[in-house]
Order: sequence, then structure tokens, then C-alpha cells
Amino acid sequence: MSTNSGMRGEWPRNGHNRRAAEMTDPPAVVSVRFHRFLPYWAVLQTDLRQTSQGWLFVLWIGLMLVGICGFYLYRVGLHQEAGLVQSAAVLCAEALRATFLGSLAVVVILSVAAIGTERGTVADAVLSRGISRHQYFLARQHARMILVGVVFALVSTGIIAVGSVLFRGGEADISLRGAAVVVALLSLLLAVVAAVGVVLGALTNSTILGIALYWLLLYGGGLLLMLAPETWPTPERELFRLRYVLQGYYSSAYYSRIALTAVAIAFAATAWGLIGFSRRDV
Amino acid sequence: MADDENNWIVETQHLTKIYRNRQIALNDVTLTLEPGCVLGLLGPNGAGKTTLLRLILGLHRPTAGYVRVFGRLMTPNAADIRRRIGYIPTNPQFPRGMTPISYLDYIGRLFGLPRDVRKPRLATLIRAVDLLPHSGDPIAHFTPGMTARLAVAASLINEPDLLIWDEPTHGLDIEARRSMLELIKQLASEKTLILSSHNLSDVDEVCNHACVLNKGQMIFHGTLQDLKGRIRRNHYELDVDGDHKAISKAVGVLRGLKDFTQVVLRHRRLDVKLGEETPNTALLAQLFQVLHDHKITVISVRTVGMQTEQAYLDLVEREESRGFVRLYPASEAA
Repeated sequence: MSTNSGMRGEWPRNGHNRRAAEMTDPPAVVSVRFHRFLPYWAVLQTDLRQTSQGWLFVLWIGLMLVGICGFYLYRVGLHQEAGLVQSAAVLCAEALRATFLGSLAVVVILSVAAIGTERGTVADAVLSRGISRHQYFLARQHARMILVGVVFALVSTGIIAVGSVLFRGGEADISLRGAAVVVALLSLLLAVVAAVGVVLGALTNSTILGIALYWLLLYGGGLLLMLAPETWPTPERELFRLRYVLQGYYSSAYYSRIALTAVAIAFAATAWGLIGFSRRDV
Repeated sequence: MADDENNWIVETQHLTKIYRNRQIALNDVTLTLEPGCVLGLLGPNGAGKTTLLRLILGLHRPTAGYVRVFGRLMTPNAADIRRRIGYIPTNPQFPRGMTPISYLDYIGRLFGLPRDVRKPRLATLIRAVDLLPHSGDPIAHFTPGMTARLAVAASLINEPDLLIWDEPTHGLDIEARRSMLELIKQLASEKTLILSSHNLSDVDEVCNHACVLNKGQMIFHGTLQDLKGRIRRNHYELDVDGDHKAISKAVGVLRGLKDFTQVVLRHRRLDVKLGEETPNTALLAQLFQVLHDHKITVISVRTVGMQTEQAYLDLVEREESRGFVRLYPASEAA
């Protein structure tokens, strides 16, 4: 076999029969024990690696960092120059609220595109192998949920930590437990948004349509809920209340209910996606 | 066909695929494949070849009918059946940022192969397809030939019993095509293959069965010999040598014979068309007798055109010309 032919990127020039024979030599009889969940792990790991190297993910991280830095620099400037006393909890809550709402837009794209953009030849290369639709769907969904949840948890922890340090001269009013609840809740909610987004992407024929629909649903729905009665727990009001949660004033039972509702939505959407994706052409 | 239905590698019954109630891609395809069969899937663009392959793989769900592979119903979740299938799509696409080693490892893991089996096998395959010098290079920079080789390796990593290759010689240069055909011949000795191809000479060379699709309808399924047997074996070209006057005289004699519908002499090449009423062996015997009588030497004899290609074109043309009678099978219509 000529190495040069390989270097030119062409098919082996000589001895193709020998190579063909090598590939078809009867193998020694070995009973292969297939690992049932290895395909799931393969897709999960590959998706995590590829998504974290993708331009959209890098852009998301970059925008969050630039936005937070800009916001804190401005507030620090006010603090230093004008001597305004600011509550760390209030500033951190504002930063978290803006980061969360901005991240929603990117998470929608990241999640809806998870399966939708791979439909066709790339999905062929995966789904024609020994992986079931269920495993493929769950691996994709879990990869996006993990990535979104972990990244947002890290960023929001950073926001709170930096805010606490920068504004410690004012009212250092952030409680550790409150901060943990905020980080966990917001990360969970974003992960659920990602989970539902993957379902939409798997069930819609057009990725663009799926993204547009999901944006409309989240932002439009959020705006409409602002018109709801004061007693209703709307996203806007919950985001506003973050400052109190950061200060440690929250009801564990209330936020547990919100978390459980979000998890239930994610489970219901996943079940719908599993059934729907198994019945679709790819 | 195998006597025992359980021996069939692939069995489709009334397989029909209609996309979103807008496009009939496949219509009532019933076929069976026995072990060791090398099936050439033929048909013009849009005939439904790729749809049939994707249905067999469970990538698409049938609108009606079913597919059984290795005796079991193929569904989108039938991962254990697909573990025994090796597939190459028409234009293989690969995930971004992977090298041949990482890609084959990924495919091996998709088949659930444990590390001890996967790693040695992928190393053997990379060497076998001559990608060893490029085993660490990004696939994105690969030429079509290298991509095709990698796709072959990926389709063999699970040591499948059934290979489904969609236009495996598409875009390959002459050397690569030749190598691919040799590989197919080697694999055919121990595996069952389904090859979709536009290139009839490829099918002619490596396949022993053929399935012809036209506009989603299966118009032929049988052995390649059966397909060739459908064409009229009545057109021959003979290169002859001898005295020019004798050749001209022999041509005159042949033209006078019954059932010799066309006898044309171009330089020293004789173009002969025979009638269909008399068996062609009898007519050819007459032809050679006349040449012998005139002391003419025959240098070569060949049938005009490629047999498989002629048979295929004949089938498609005949199907097109049947009009509304297509509603009934060809035998009934006749």
C-alpha cells in the first residue's frame, strides 16, 4: 500500500485486494457483549464537547461576561464617584435578572437546534447505527440541559460572588443560603427551558420555525402574564423578588413548588418528545 | 428464495411511503433478500431508492406495509437489529472537529462495542483503508476519496451481516471506484449487500440480484440473469477479416436470408440485427456458415450495448409506455 497515494488523499493504488481481504478476513470467534448505554454516553459526550466548542455557545458566554462586567463597572463607578450606597443583593439580583432574560434567547436557539439542525445526513450517520431513537433524544436533551444548567450556575455564582466583594462597602446583605437558592432555581429553570426546546426542535420540521415559536411563547407569554393579577406568580415578579431571596427572605416550600412544577413540565415535555420523535422520519 | 421465511435477511411487504400526503416516494414494494444476496438497487433519480434504504434502516417509518430485517420488525428504536447492519449514505457527512480515530471510536461506541473490541478493530480498519497517515487529521480537510474510505471503515466496524451502501462509488475516481468494487466482491462472499447505484456497469460487475424502481414502483425484482434475459438478444457486431469482395458478397447473401432484419457493413465491421421468430442460435449458425463459405475470418463478436443497461432502459421504457394499464401487473396486462 503506497503511503504517497494516501498523502494525495486518493484511494490506495496498489494491493486493494489485499486490503479488502484484510477487512473481510473471518475474525476470530469472539462473543461481543454490547454495552447497552454506551451509545447514550457517546452521543452525550460528543454533544457536550461539540456544543461547548460551537460559536453560539462561545458568543453566549462572551455576551454574559461583557454584559456583567459593563453593569458592575457602571455601578462601581457610581459607588466610587457619587458615593451612592447600594445594596449588593439588589445589584446582584438586577444582574442576574438581565443575564437570565438575555440567556433565554440563546438557550432557545441552542436547544431547538440540538436535533433539528442534524436532521438529514448527519443524523443518518448516527441513527443508522446501534442506537435507539430514545437514547439519541435523551442524550441530546441531557447534554443541552447539563451544559446550560452548569454554565448558568457557574456564571450566576460568579455574579453573586463578585457583587458581594465589589459592594461589600454598602449593604453586604447577601445570605449564603439565599444565594444558593437563587443559583439553583435559575439554573434549573434555564435547564427546563433547554429540555422543552430540544423537544420542540425534535418535533418541528423547521428549526427556524421552532426557534421563532419558542421565543414567542417565552417572551410573549411573559409579557402577557404581566397583565395577570398581582397575586399570580409571574416570571417578571419572581425575578423582581430575587433580591429578597438573596437576602434570605424566602419560603422554602414556595420555591420547592416552583422547582417541582418546572421538573414536572420537563418530564411531561420529555415524554411527549420521546413518543413524537420515535414516530418521525429523520 | 429461501424456503424458510426466517432465513430472509430483508423482507418488505406492501411497503409504501407517502411524505406528508404530498409525495408518493414508494408504492407497494414487496421484496425478499436471502443470505448471500448482492442486490443492486436501480432506478432513475427520484425513483425511491434512498427512501427504500432508509425504510429498511428504520430511519423512516412506513406509511403502510412493513420491513423485517433478520426476521424482526424494523422500527426506529430497533437498535439491536441495526447493530448487524453497516450503512453508507450517499454523501457521508461527519461530525465537526473529528479525526478518523475519534470518529470510528464514536461509531463503535454508538454500536455499544466495548473498548477492548472497539479500539483494535478501528485501528485495523484505519490501516486497511489506508488512512493511517491521516488518522490524526481533521476529517473536514479530507478529499472525497478519503471520506469514502472512512465511510467504508465506519460501515464495517460492527462486523455487520448486512451492508447497505447508497451509491458507494459516487464521486470516486477510477482507481478508487475499482478498489471499492473489489472490496464489494470480497465482502459479497460472506455478507448480504444492498447497493444503490446509478452506475449500471458497477451493478453488472458485483451484483447477483437486481431491483428496479421507477417513480416509487418496483418494476423488477429478481436475479441479474433474469433482468438480462428480458432484453432482445438480437443485435450483434462482428469484426471480420478477409477479401473485401468476399465480405461484400457474404453481406449480400445474409441480407437475402429470412430473419436477418439488418445487415450493415462499415469498413470491416458487420452490424447484424436478427428477427425474433427464430431462435438466435439457429440464425447465428447460419451467419457463421455464410462467413465460412466466403472464407471470412471472424476477429471478434459482441452484443451491442451493455446488457444490463439495455435491460434496465427497456424495463423503464416499457413501464412508462403502459399508461393506465400500470394499474395491473405486467403479466396480467399482457
